[in-house]
Amino acid sequence: MSNEKFRLTDLRFQYGDGDFALRVPELAVESGQRVAVIGPSGSGKTTLLHVIAGIELAQTGSVEIDGSNWTALAEAERRALRVQRIGLVFQEFELLEYLRVLDNITLPYRIHPSLSLDSTCRDRARALAGTLGVGDKLARFPAHLSHGEKQRVAVCRALITEPDLILADEPTGNLDPANKHRVLDHLIDCANERGSTLVLVTHDHDLLDRFDRIIDVKSFSEGADA
Amino acid sequence: MTGARSKLECAWRGGLIALLVCACSGEDPVGRAPTEREPDELLVYAVNYPLAYFAERIAGDLAEVRFPVPADIDPADWSPTPGEIAEFQQADLILLNGAGYARWLEHASLPRGRRIDTWSGFRDRLIELRGGVSHAHGPSGDHSHTGTAATTWLDPTLAIEQARAIAEALAQARPPRAAAFRKRLAALVAELVELDAQLAATAAKLGDTPLLFSHPVYQYLERRYSLNGRSLHWEPDEAPDPKMWRELETSLEDHPARLMIWEAQPPAGTTRRLDELGIRATIFSACANAPAEGNFLSAMRAGAAALEEMGELLSPP
Amino acid sequence: MREIAYLAWCYLSYHRIKTAILVASIALITFLPAGLNVLVSQSAEELTARAESTPLLVGAKGSPLELVLSSLYFESETPAPTTFAESDRVAETGLAEPIPLYVRFRSRSYPIVGTSLEYFDFRGLRFAAGRPMAVLGECVVGAEAARELGVHPGDFVTSSPEGVFDLAGVYPLKMSIVGVLATAHSPDDRAIFIDVKTAWIIDGLGHGHQDLAAPDAESAVLSRDGDRITANASVVQYNEITAENIDSFHFHGELATYPLSAVIAAPHSEKSRALLLGRYQDDDASQLVVPTAVMDELLETVLTVREYAVAAVAIAGSATLMTTTLVFLLSLRLRRREIATMMKIGASRSTVAAVLISEVAVVLLLGGILAAGLTLATSRFGSAAIRALLLS
Repeated sequence: MSNEKFRLTDLRFQYGDGDFALRVPELAVESGQRVAVIGPSGSGKTTLLHVIAGIELAQTGSVEIDGSNWTALAEAERRALRVQRIGLVFQEFELLEYLRVLDNITLPYRIHPSLSLDSTCRDRARALAGTLGVGDKLARFPAHLSHGEKQRVAVCRALITEPDLILADEPTGNLDPANKHRVLDHLIDCANERGSTLVLVTHDHDLLDRFDRIIDVKSFSEGADA
Repeated sequence: MTGARSKLECAWRGGLIALLVCACSGEDPVGRAPTEREPDELLVYAVNYPLAYFAERIAGDLAEVRFPVPADIDPADWSPTPGEIAEFQQADLILLNGAGYARWLEHASLPRGRRIDTWSGFRDRLIELRGGVSHAHGPSGDHSHTGTAATTWLDPTLAIEQARAIAEALAQARPPRAAAFRKRLAALVAELVELDAQLAATAAKLGDTPLLFSHPVYQYLERRYSLNGRSLHWEPDEAPDPKMWRELETSLEDHPARLMIWEAQPPAGTTRRLDELGIRATIFSACANAPAEGNFLSAMRAGAAALEEMGELLSPP
Repeated sequence: MREIAYLAWCYLSYHRIKTAILVASIALITFLPAGLNVLVSQSAEELTARAESTPLLVGAKGSPLELVLSSLYFESETPAPTTFAESDRVAETGLAEPIPLYVRFRSRSYPIVGTSLEYFDFRGLRFAAGRPMAVLGECVVGAEAARELGVHPGDFVTSSPEGVFDLAGVYPLKMSIVGVLATAHSPDDRAIFIDVKTAWIIDGLGHGHQDLAAPDAESAVLSRDGDRITANASVVQYNEITAENIDSFHFHGELATYPLSAVIAAPHSEKSRALLLGRYQDDDASQLVVPTAVMDELLETVLTVREYAVAAVAIAGSATLMTTTLVFLLSLRLRRREIATMMKIGASRSTVAAVLISEVAVVLLLGGILAAGLTLATSRFGSAAIRALLLS
C-alpha cells in the first residue's frame, strides 16, 4: 500500500502574463514527512505550494493527493478538499483585520458549507490557541497583536480543521529568532501529533536540520532534485 | 329706576278688578321653577316680564320660559352675574326688548342666532329721549347718546308686534308646532286689542287733561293715546326733596295737572302734600317685572281702570 | 447564510465610522424625497381641512389670500378691515349665519381672536375647563396657549401694545380667563378668544372711565355745555374690566361702523351659498371668498415647488448613490488581499460575493430603517413646522 501523501507528475505551470514557469518532472512526498522547500526568490516556492493545494491549476501534469488526481477534479471539489484536509499558513499571516482572534482561527468553518461551526470547534480553537500561547488574546483584533502572536494565530487557523497536509509558506520569515523557533516547534509538534505531512517553505537554513527532506525548487527548474 | 310695591295698596286700588281678570285669564305667573324639559320643549329666556308673559301665552306647554330677574329689581337695571349670563347662553331663544333695554346686554356675550329682537317690526317708531347727561372726549371727540325710551309694551299695538315676533321665532324653532303657536298668538292679540280699546276709551275721557308722570317710563302710553303728560323724576319709595317740590310747583304754572300717575304707591306724606296741591295720585304699573298678583294683562287693565276711575273723579260734573 | 451575515456584520461594525457615513447617506437619499412628500401632503391636508370647514369668508376688497390666512390661521398681516355692518348684512340676507372675526391683537405671541359665541360650535371646539365668555373682559384660551402660559380659569392674560411707542392707540387690557378649550389640533389651540366687543375695547373704540358727572371727576372735565360734558385727556380709563366698573364701559358711535377683519358666513344650504356668492359678485367694497379655492391656489404653488425640490433631491441623490458605489468599489480594491486569503483557505467566489453583498444589504437596510424613522418623525412633528413656515 502506497504511503505517498502527494505526488506531482510532469507538472508544468506558467502564470498567464509572465515568463516564469514551474516545472516539476516528478515529486512525491510520503505521509508524515517533514519537508522543507528552499530556493532563491522568484524560483516558485509559493507557486509550488499553491499548485499542491489546488489554489492554482497547472497547465499540464497531475497532482495526486492520497491517490486522488486533484487536477481532474472540478474547482469546487478541490476547494472543498482543500478546506477540509489542507492547512495553509501564509508568510504575511493574512489574518482578517475585522475578525477577533477566535473568529480568525475558526474562519475555515464559516466560509465553506461542508464545515459547520459548533461548540466543539470553538473548544478546539481555544485549546489550540492555548497551546500556541495566544489563549488570552481570543477577544483581540489582529491590530493589537505582535508579529509573533499573529503568526501563531495563523498557525491555529491552519490547524483548526485537523488537516493531514500542512502547507506553510515562510511562516517564520517575519519573526524574530525566538518566535521563529517557537512557531516552527508548534508546527512540527502539531504535525507529529496528528501524523500530518508538513511542507514548509523557508529561506532560513538554520532550520533545515528539523526536516526529514529538503527540496530545492531551483533543481526543478533545472530539472534535478536536491 | 327701582321701586318697591305696596301689595296692600295695589289690592285696594284695583284689587277686585284684578281678581276678576285673573279669574278670567287664569294664567300662572311666569318663571316657574325649572323642571325636566321634554326633548321637544324649548328653553326661552326673556329680559323683562312682558316678553316672558307673551312667550308663555303663546308657547304654553311647548316651552319652558324663564325670567330670572328678582321680583324687587327693575329688569332694565338688573346686573346679572356671569353665571346667570351663562344660563341665558343655554337658551334656545333669548327674547330681547330692544331700544337699549337692559343695560347688561351691552356688556354680555349672547349667541346671535338665538337672540330675538322683538322690536324689529317697529325700529322706526322708537322714541328718542331728550335731556339727560351725555359726554364726549375732546372738543371733536365721540359723544354718547342719551338714550331711547324702552317701555315699548305699554303701547298695546307695539306689544302685539313683539308678541308676533315671539310667535314667529317659536314657529321657526319648532315648525311642526307653528299652527298651535299662531292660534295661541291670536288669542293673546285679541286680548291686547281689547286692552288697547279700553285704554283708548279711558284716554278719550281724559282728553287733553294735563297729567303728570312720576317717572319718564310712560312715553309709549302717552304717544299712543295722545295724553297730555309731563314727566318728573320721582321715585315711589323716596320722598321728594324741597327742590323737587319747587320744580313741581313751577311746572304746575304752565301745566296745571291734577293727576299724577305712579308706578307704585308713593309714601303717605307725598300723597298728602300732593293732595294739598290739588293733585291726586293713581297707580299704573309699568309691568317691567311680574306683579305680585295677576299677570301682565290684569295689571294693565287694572292700571287702565284706575286711570279711568281717577279721570271720572276729576272731570267736571 | 448566518455565517456570511456574521462576517458582513463584523466588517461593518469594525469600520463603524465608514458604515455610519454610508448609512447616513443612504438614509438621507431615501428620506429627503419621502419626507418632503409626507410633509407637504400632510400640511396640504391640514390646510385644506381647515379651509374646507370654513364655507365662505367676507372681508374688505383686497388680497383673498391675506383674508383667508388671517381668518383661518390667525397669522399674516391683518387685512384691510371691513365693518360690523357686513355681519349684519349677511344676517339680513337670511342665507347664512354670520360669525364676526376681529383678529388684530396679540398677547405676547398668541393671537387674540375677537368673535362671537357661535365660533365655538362652528369649529366644534369643546371646553376642557370653565365656560365661554359671558361679559366684556372675559376670555377663553386655546389648549396649547394655556399649557404654554400655564394658565387656568381664574387667571389673567394681558393684550400686548401694537408698538413700543403706541402711547395713544391700543393699550393693554387685562382679561380674565373663564375657559380653556380642549385640544383641537388646529390653530385654535394657540389662540385667545374674546367677544368682539372686548376686541373693540382693546382697539380703543370702547372704554370705561370715571363718571364725568361725579364731583370727583372735575379735573377730567374740559368743558360743560348744559347737559353735555366734554372730557379732557386726563380722564382715568380702566385697563381691566371688573364687576365694579363694567357698567362704566361704553362705546361711542354706531357699532355698525366698528371694524372687523372678516365675517365667516355659514350658509344654510347649497342654494343659500350660491345665492350669497351671487350677491357679492359685483360688490365694489367687499369680497366674498371661498377659502378652499384660495388655499388650492396656494397649495398648487407649494406642490410645484415640491416637484422641483424632489427633482433636485433625486439628482443629488443619484450623485450620492454613484459616489457611494464608487466608495464601495474602491474598498473592494483595498480588500483584494483579504478576498484572496478567503479564497485560498477555501471560500468560493459566490461565498465571497455573498459576504460583500450582505455588507451592502445591511447598510441599505440600516439606511432604510433610519429613513423610515425620520419619515415617521416628520409625519408626527413636521407639519407644524411647515405650517409656521408657510404662514409666516
